[in-house]
Amino acid sequence: MSKIQNILRVAANEKICPKFYQLSFAAPAAVIKSIKPGQFIHIRVNDGLEPFFRRPFSVYQANKYISILYEPIGRGTKTLATKKKGDVMDVLGPLGNVFAMPPKGTKQVVMVGGGIGVAPFLLLSQALQRQRGQSPKRDSPLSLVLLYGGRTRGHVFPMKEFKQAGVKIHVATDDGSAGVKGRVSNLYSNIKPDPKTTIVYTCGPHAMMASVQEFARKNNLRGQACCEEVMACALGACLGCSIQTTSGYKTTCYDGPIFDLQEVIF
Amino acid sequence: MNISINIGSIRFVNPVTVASGTFGHAEKYFDLEEVKKLGAIVPKTVTLHAREGNPPPRIVETPSGMINAIGIENPGVDIFIAKKLPAFRKIGVPLIISILGHTDEEFVALVEKFNAAPGRGVAALELNLSCPNLKHKVLVAQDPEAIIRVVKQVKAISKYPVIAKLSPNVTDIAAMAAAAEEAGADAVSLVNTFSAMAIDTRTRRSRLGNFTGGLSGPAIRPIAVYMVHEVYKRVKIPIIAMGGIMTVNDALEFFIAGATMVAVGTANFINPRAPLEVLNGIKDYLREHKIEDIKEIIGSLQL
Repeated sequence: MSKIQNILRVAANEKICPKFYQLSFAAPAAVIKSIKPGQFIHIRVNDGLEPFFRRPFSVYQANKYISILYEPIGRGTKTLATKKKGDVMDVLGPLGNVFAMPPKGTKQVVMVGGGIGVAPFLLLSQALQRQRGQSPKRDSPLSLVLLYGGRTRGHVFPMKEFKQAGVKIHVATDDGSAGVKGRVSNLYSNIKPDPKTTIVYTCGPHAMMASVQEFARKNNLRGQACCEEVMACALGACLGCSIQTTSGYKTTCYDGPIFDLQEVIF
Repeated sequence: MNISINIGSIRFVNPVTVASGTFGHAEKYFDLEEVKKLGAIVPKTVTLHAREGNPPPRIVETPSGMINAIGIENPGVDIFIAKKLPAFRKIGVPLIISILGHTDEEFVALVEKFNAAPGRGVAALELNLSCPNLKHKVLVAQDPEAIIRVVKQVKAISKYPVIAKLSPNVTDIAAMAAAAEEAGADAVSLVNTFSAMAIDTRTRRSRLGNFTGGLSGPAIRPIAVYMVHEVYKRVKIPIIAMGGIMTVNDALEFFIAGATMVAVGTANFINPRAPLEVLNGIKDYLREHKIEDIKEIIGSLQL
């Protein structure tokens, strides 16, 4: 019945650092092409009834394959870690709205990602890199900066694709085992928070996004947040994943997952 | 092969629908040619005034099911009729409109609104007498006298057949169905969700913003099958059955227990194809067992 329900074959399921995995699906080219930065897929991790819900994941890559990043910590993600190349899985997507591209005059794009929340920023970075390549004004290049916060060095993956997309990366870990010790807020000194030329995107734990919201508010920076909640349908039908916003409850799956940074009440 | 059924004066081309609150945004995500194959569509419950719904978290995953406490978030009847109903009508499938009044007067006002709504497409009204998430101390569906009172007032004015949606949170659901029948209901639908809660043991708080919610999904199905059979033995009016239907076999259990129509609910969240798989599976089953008419299996439980 659904236009967006696909049975996809697992192309690869690999550990990319001690804590994170990357799962890739082979998919029809039309499906891959239809994916836009910020969108997600909703995966049925098992054929049976346990775990019962599907699990939503930001699309990390959409080139030859559709891939996601995950950390096997819960029932759903631990099940995902058992998937092998060739397994078939039921995947809904792409779903949700899309990151708004930075307005004209933007010189600095700051992406603040916490842990696995960094995933949606690769498609965004690649889209911005393409935009930058097309821009006639070579004198004002768009600078892409990723402020990445992980719990330990085990949560820091190579980020080769980000570097290829021209992203400058700064890392903080809670225990200081990689990059700067502490929170992503310890990395703000690496950016120039100019309200006219800077835009902020964030995705990660609520507490982190709340601190980014506060930072953006203080510095008058525009921005967007990519949110995640437990979802049942992911199609805007059940209204189970609603979050509080300045204009009432909105569904993370259908109205989001991308919201104006100042609109979300964390 | 005949798979059409009747609810009141209305004929449905097949006995498969979707449960209220589980189906939406057909135009964006669904192949409308396939949606058109459903026997009926039940949009999410509409109230007289807009409701913003309950504070999050609104859902919790449980073993083979889920607890929800959405709180009947909806834009209110006027906006529903003006904005949402036309889109539902466009699908071309008969609509069973689920309505909920907080008082008798609100139920009456809602019926008047739908009586007066222009256009076709509405096949029946379903009275949601049984939402567990609105902090009502006693549900209409838990009090036979209240069921009789509400259904009688609605039947007196409704130009559409009336279906009473019952709660499983009662001692004797057959008695509640009998009350609905006595008051003139054209059908009953059962079951709504079971009152339930889940606790976060770290914080010792409820895992729902509304504190309690309603359990649905395959976890409740055997109880729902039992209740449908209890009601079938007691009343003559048709039963629309729902409660954890994921597959055709689940749906067949309900038909054999006494259901005339089945609604796929929570399964839509897990497998959006479930209603059509159920419909196609019914046809396969009838063909395989050389049964000419779906009515032959309704209530055909061998004793």
